[in-house]
Amino acid sequence: MSDYTLGIKELDSVIGGIKKGSNIMLIGPPMSGKETILYSIMYYGATKNENAVITVSTRESATHILEWFKEQKLVLPLARVGIVDCVTKTLGGASVENENIKIASSPVDLTGIGVKISQFFEEYFMKKNIRKTQLHINSLSTILMYSNIQTVFRFLHVFTGRIKAAGSLGIYVLESGMHDEQAISTLKQLFDGLIEIKSENDKNFIRAVGLSPKPTPWFEYEIEGADVKIVGRK
Amino acid sequence: MIETGIPKLDEFLGGGIPKGKSLVYYIQPGVEGEIFGLQTIHNSLKKGGRGVFVVSSTIPEIIKGQFREFGWDIDKFKDKFFFVDAYNSLIGAPSNEKYVVSNPDNIEAFSKIIMNALKELPPSTIVFGSLSTIIDLCGEKETMQAVRSWNKTAKLYDHVMVYNFTAWPYSEETLKAIKDELFNAVISVGGIAERVIFGQYFGIFKADWTNENKKSMLFRVLRPGGIRLYIPKILVTGPFDSGKSTFVHALSTRAISVDRLGTTVALDHGHIDYKGFSADIFGTPGQERFDPIIKLLSGEAMGVFLVVDSTNPTDFVRAKQMLEITKTYGLPYVIIANKQDLPGALSPQEIRKQFNLPEDVSIIPAVAKDKTGIFEAFEVLIDKITGGI
Repeated sequence: MSDYTLGIKELDSVIGGIKKGSNIMLIGPPMSGKETILYSIMYYGATKNENAVITVSTRESATHILEWFKEQKLVLPLARVGIVDCVTKTLGGASVENENIKIASSPVDLTGIGVKISQFFEEYFMKKNIRKTQLHINSLSTILMYSNIQTVFRFLHVFTGRIKAAGSLGIYVLESGMHDEQAISTLKQLFDGLIEIKSENDKNFIRAVGLSPKPTPWFEYEIEGADVKIVGRK
Repeated sequence: MIETGIPKLDEFLGGGIPKGKSLVYYIQPGVEGEIFGLQTIHNSLKKGGRGVFVVSSTIPEIIKGQFREFGWDIDKFKDKFFFVDAYNSLIGAPSNEKYVVSNPDNIEAFSKIIMNALKELPPSTIVFGSLSTIIDLCGEKETMQAVRSWNKTAKLYDHVMVYNFTAWPYSEETLKAIKDELFNAVISVGGIAERVIFGQYFGIFKADWTNENKKSMLFRVLRPGGIRLYIPKILVTGPFDSGKSTFVHALSTRAISVDRLGTTVALDHGHIDYKGFSADIFGTPGQERFDPIIKLLSGEAMGVFLVVDSTNPTDFVRAKQMLEITKTYGLPYVIIANKQDLPGALSPQEIRKQFNLPEDVSIIPAVAKDKTGIFEAFEVLIDKITGGI
């Protein structure tokens, strides 16, 4: 039996499940639907696989994310969903923490973000006894805008290590085309695999590298609402 | 000497931090350690001192908000408290603070402002909210060098320097310099990790003005409240009708019981906040059919109160049996000789004899319903758990 699945059937069956303790970079161009893909992984993980999912959001406020799911008529099991919101305080919005939402002071405050992540881990692991937890960071690109590559590398070094120790799954979103190749390859050494997205002639493709003996083929996908539908194979 | 206001830490440090000295909170990533700097500065202001807070990872307003979350009104110290704003310029925002670092990623610019503050201000407590952020922006070697000269200058002007430092995987050299060389004192703030971090502790790694004391304390962070020493779980057990629930309720700041027909069938749960210690208290039912619950709770507890009815020696056999169950878990325990107010109550010495217990086992006389003896018992148990620090 596999440890973690993404919920994109065609991709999961080629990968054959993701080993626990894996850290994966989700990389693709802007506006290719990375966010929706991440949310669908989150939804599938939390509902179908009963994983706990911790999302660090530097792009959308926590309230926004939860509203998005509501708009899509998807019911998130809130007992297993935690969001570290790095946006609200920076924008000066009202910041109320609750069971699902923890507020970090800014995307620069990696120490604070780290504390919030650890608190969610403790809660799911120790108090709720959930053994499978996913950590999604959306996105590394924003964090890299505020902190230099060494700093982000050190942060990730600690947290990819924690993911391994806890037998969790880490997914880290990166915009392609925004960072130099050297930065990306520096970060790549921390990851076990990639989920890669590309856009060609108005079509979007996805594949996984490093999660199976060979890279999976490119799958063409379309996003409808919250659904990531595979419509073809290259 | 300034006090940190962190329970036990001042005691460990021989009263606090002497003027002219520097101290670093060396924080493991993921552990809620930045509160240490906040609590230190707040306490020194509260005691009439002056303070400077160097903000480098967020805007000063958010730091003020953090003080408020802990229930600390920082505004009332406004003529004795300043921010050094080393963040707003980073995001291109204007700043209203007295001291502003215009290029927070340039150590010379940073150092100039810090030096000015050190030289201009009367002796103050200067807290760096995040030394790691400064290192991240200015470089490891450069920052280490600057810290060295800041600490030297602070010594001349009688300031107390306090740094929060998150120990990300920096170079060995940097970490070693921070632990061994740059500061007069190093307080490690760490997490107890099995597969995830589930407990937090602090301890003195070094302090050159006092005898080194490497003992550590568990803590929790309360909002409001700040740092509280923390004893995860304490079990209260004892035979039927010995007064366990009364004891739990008497000890607790808040408590609930799950009971039927006046006796506890599931458990009592309470929470105590006393002299800087915070603990969860669980009372077990007394009847034998509930023994599995005792075993279950013992697996997670850190200490045990065994409550006995001093007027009812026939129950001592059962009490002893219950003690055996918890003893297999190697937990420290204290015996509560309850109902001392009733006629015919045996004295602790007589109970010791009946139980055949050695002298080093504490038996505390108590009247749980009047709250007599119970806090004394709590202190004795805490001493046993923490090794009598």
